[in-house]
Amino acid sequence: MAPNVQPKMKAFETKSKPAEIRSSNIEAAKAVADAIRTSLGPRGMDKMIQSGKGDVTITNDGATILKQMKLVHPAAKMLVELSKAQDVEAGDGTTSVVVLAGSFLEAAQKLLEKGIHPTVISESFQKASVKAVEILEAMATPMKLEDRHSLLMSATTSLGSKVVSQHSALLAPLAVDAVLKVIDPLKDHDVDLRDIRVIEKLGGTVDDTELVEGLVLDQRSAGSGGPTRMEKAKIGLIQFCISPPKTDMDNQVVVSDYNAMDRVLREERAYILNVAKQVKKAGCNVLLVQKSILRDAVSELALHFFDKMKIMVVKDIEREDIEFITKTLNCRPIASLDHFLPEYMASADLVESVPTGTSKVVKITGIQNVGKTVSVIVRGSNKLVLEEAARSLHDALCVIRCLVKKRFIIAGGGAPETELAYQLTQYAQGLPGVEAYCLRAFAESLEVIPMTLAENAGLNPIATVTDLRNKHACGFKSSGINVRKGAITNMLDEGVAQPLLVTTSAITLASETVRSILKIDDIVNALY
Amino acid sequence: MDFVNTLLIYLVLAASSIANIVKSSLGPVGLDKMLVDDVGDVTITNDGATILNLLEVQHPAAKVLVELAQLQDQEVGDGTTSVVIVAAELLKNADELVKQKIHPTSVISGYRLACKEAVKYIQDNLTLTVDELGKDCLINAAKTSMSSKIISADANFFAAMCVDAANAVRVTDNKGQTIYPIKAINVLKAHGKSARESLLINGYALNCTVASQAMVKKITNAKIACLDFSLQKTKMKMGVQVLVTDPEKLDAIRQRESDITKERIQKILNAGANVILATGGIDDLCLKYFVEAGAMAVRRCKKSDLKRIAKATGATLLSSMANLEGEESFEASAVGEAAEVSTERICDDELIVIKGTKARTAASIILRGPNDFYCDEMERSVHDALCVVKRVLESKTLVVGGGAVEVALSIYLESFATSLSSREQLAIAEFAHSLLVIPKTLAVNAAKDATDLVAKMRSYHHSSQSKPEHANLKWIGLDLTEGTVRDNRQAGVFEPAVSKIKSLKFATEAAITILRIDDMIKLDSEDKNTQSYQNAYECGQLDG
Repeated sequence: MAPNVQPKMKAFETKSKPAEIRSSNIEAAKAVADAIRTSLGPRGMDKMIQSGKGDVTITNDGATILKQMKLVHPAAKMLVELSKAQDVEAGDGTTSVVVLAGSFLEAAQKLLEKGIHPTVISESFQKASVKAVEILEAMATPMKLEDRHSLLMSATTSLGSKVVSQHSALLAPLAVDAVLKVIDPLKDHDVDLRDIRVIEKLGGTVDDTELVEGLVLDQRSAGSGGPTRMEKAKIGLIQFCISPPKTDMDNQVVVSDYNAMDRVLREERAYILNVAKQVKKAGCNVLLVQKSILRDAVSELALHFFDKMKIMVVKDIEREDIEFITKTLNCRPIASLDHFLPEYMASADLVESVPTGTSKVVKITGIQNVGKTVSVIVRGSNKLVLEEAARSLHDALCVIRCLVKKRFIIAGGGAPETELAYQLTQYAQGLPGVEAYCLRAFAESLEVIPMTLAENAGLNPIATVTDLRNKHACGFKSSGINVRKGAITNMLDEGVAQPLLVTTSAITLASETVRSILKIDDIVNALY
Repeated sequence: MDFVNTLLIYLVLAASSIANIVKSSLGPVGLDKMLVDDVGDVTITNDGATILNLLEVQHPAAKVLVELAQLQDQEVGDGTTSVVIVAAELLKNADELVKQKIHPTSVISGYRLACKEAVKYIQDNLTLTVDELGKDCLINAAKTSMSSKIISADANFFAAMCVDAANAVRVTDNKGQTIYPIKAINVLKAHGKSARESLLINGYALNCTVASQAMVKKITNAKIACLDFSLQKTKMKMGVQVLVTDPEKLDAIRQRESDITKERIQKILNAGANVILATGGIDDLCLKYFVEAGAMAVRRCKKSDLKRIAKATGATLLSSMANLEGEESFEASAVGEAAEVSTERICDDELIVIKGTKARTAASIILRGPNDFYCDEMERSVHDALCVVKRVLESKTLVVGGGAVEVALSIYLESFATSLSSREQLAIAEFAHSLLVIPKTLAVNAAKDATDLVAKMRSYHHSSQSKPEHANLKWIGLDLTEGTVRDNRQAGVFEPAVSKIKSLKFATEAAITILRIDDMIKLDSEDKNTQSYQNAYECGQLDG
């Protein structure tokens, strides 16, 4: 417990409260950081999370772990938000950002105990993080998007800590290819990851994961006797239903004659047939139909006609997928039959319904004027592995996106943090006053990353970190912990690299969160 | 640092308790389990996946093992018990290592390496191809799979049946590969008579009866129509109201309702069909027309059955009779052909058997047994055997059973471990040790001296790997009836190589999944009062 910093005054006996609140906040946040600390790094372990309903998640991803935990303490919740922010900003390093924040808080707590005012600590941490980003930028290596080797290296590093790490030889190039394919040449400084569609399919092993240049639809082709494979396809995407139109509730069709009954039946057939013929006339042979909740998107009768006309039908396309599909196929969604014209349709070399595991997917390949999108089918032998594989792939995609945004890479394995610690300490020595003291504490707390890496790998943390510090003092800026060999080596030679953006955003976000936690001096419970 | 992880002990405990449940059912002399659920339904089985499926497992680590068994069941179909036992043994030994202060990550990487080496060794040294062994090996593999099951006494009979059935459904897919879709084999159960009177039908057996007793019971040169709609009095759609003012007209409308269906039936019969199979209902009123035409009509067939029949006979499964002119018609091309369709009485039920299908061959197995439990277990055993036959036919590689592969791998990995100088060495040695659980359990279940037998096998395998002239000793496995060791290659105990390799991989993966866990977070169920900060504060939980 922090001792009372301010001299006690009789009139304000509750003066100790701010210190208590701060201490409680710091303790809570540190507890969160400690909880996920063991999952950092290539030898990090997983967490098994059992939800109230009994569902089990096994994961190594910091953001996922924290999202699943139901935290009560508001300061602890801030750390969850922090991890989410890192997930949005960089997509990777969600564990390290929380571990860093925990370590900064610990440093801050020690400084508070020494009687330094929170605002001073906060100011100097701010200064330190700005300086840290400068140092990082200076030590980063610029790279080009054509440099496939560096991209692969970063993706492999990101996958290294996951349960799918032994598949990184497959997943890393897949992630690189996927991101490179969707880059828009006009504005090549950002990538919309929504253009990469990741479909999870149970069955098979992670090795069967594949990148499809084209479109993969989760749905299977409808109808029993229709074609399941179509070469030289003309694809139409429709947003209307092919089923007998329903009269409004109040209206009734009144039949008073038996001839009229025949007519009713015939009219229905004629109506559907008319639609089917229009579709056929436009030259369409693959029809994608949007899901409808009001009535059957495609009635049995319509399916029967399409089967006869050898038109492949895929129904139940979700509304939110329409945008992606139109972008990929370069076609327009057709909202009414009058607009069903050949120019709105897309052409592809092959549309095929392929069995994957227990179910089937429809694959569209060889699309003409293909849009800047790709699909990835992730496979896994059980639900837990499958979900974790998809999460890991997402992280790898984010890493590549970071490199597109900011084309610098930096060595991994604790190298940047150690270098920062070293350079910041030196910088601090040139500063006057309390600030220097705070800055040095900040620098030291950065060493939590190499420390944790070593700890999780079963190495001796103190020996490893001091050795590492020594290497950096001698000017080996890329030296880091080689977890596989259990030694200190040059990380760039070992192929362990990460985007600059991940590290800078982790340090900036962590220090900002710490600053805001430090500035809190009271918690007011609003009644609800 | 404290590596002794209490959580790991807890997880391992749960995993081994699951393995202990199925342990006694491993091997040719393994025993069965009787499972009774909360409504009192009884299942008697020897199949690991079935046992674990029926257990209501709560513990998350145990669930991983249950899923493992299900996975093995889906991917391979056989070996579900052994995969669970190996996974649990791997975990148990990993726990020992962790207790000796070896970090779990070192154990994990050791296990991964060992698994990779083991798979390579199986592929390079322990596999036999079907060509080397001749046709008998198919039957032998099926027999090995059945040897632990209830039907082991009649293994010869059933093995031949499974091989024939699998061969009957062989198809070549559009990529030119030959596949054996064993799902297409229709397995029906009927209790009564003994197991030996089970029969394989070279055709399709449909578990339905003809709609009317007046219909013919047997049709040769059958023309089969498969309909996916009902032949009932036509009803108007919602929103169409029939409003009649004249009582005379009412009758006309009724008449018309049945006439529409009558016309449809007439069209079907005119197309030459004399066997009509429908998924929907057929009105009694309409049956008359079929009886008069001397045709057979079957109502309420399963759609999946009809799809297969349509494929086998060359028929088209129609969901409507509408044609492209907007009228209704029934084309003769939609009719499939078979040499004979007849109803057969088996036990209390009547079956419709379609023989001599035109487009491709089909197979159905009718299992007979003294009671329902027996039939259920037979079905599972036959399914396992069919899976084995399919794997062998598709991959064409086999390994020797009876613990031979496990012992050979264990000897090989032990010597491989000593060639490494890293921390993985210990983990690989434990992996090798864990594999011995299979021959040990086999021997224990047979009430033989496990220590003695396993030691004997190990010495044989050791000399087979160290002395080139003794290479043939690598086929030495257990003979559980005699309680000795023998050359299992000559004895004809075979398993598909794919099954062994996959089960090793799956077991290792499952063990690693559990080993990687270092913390378990349990969340309260949501119905509890949501804890607010206020409550927590008041309870003093925040005092750090």
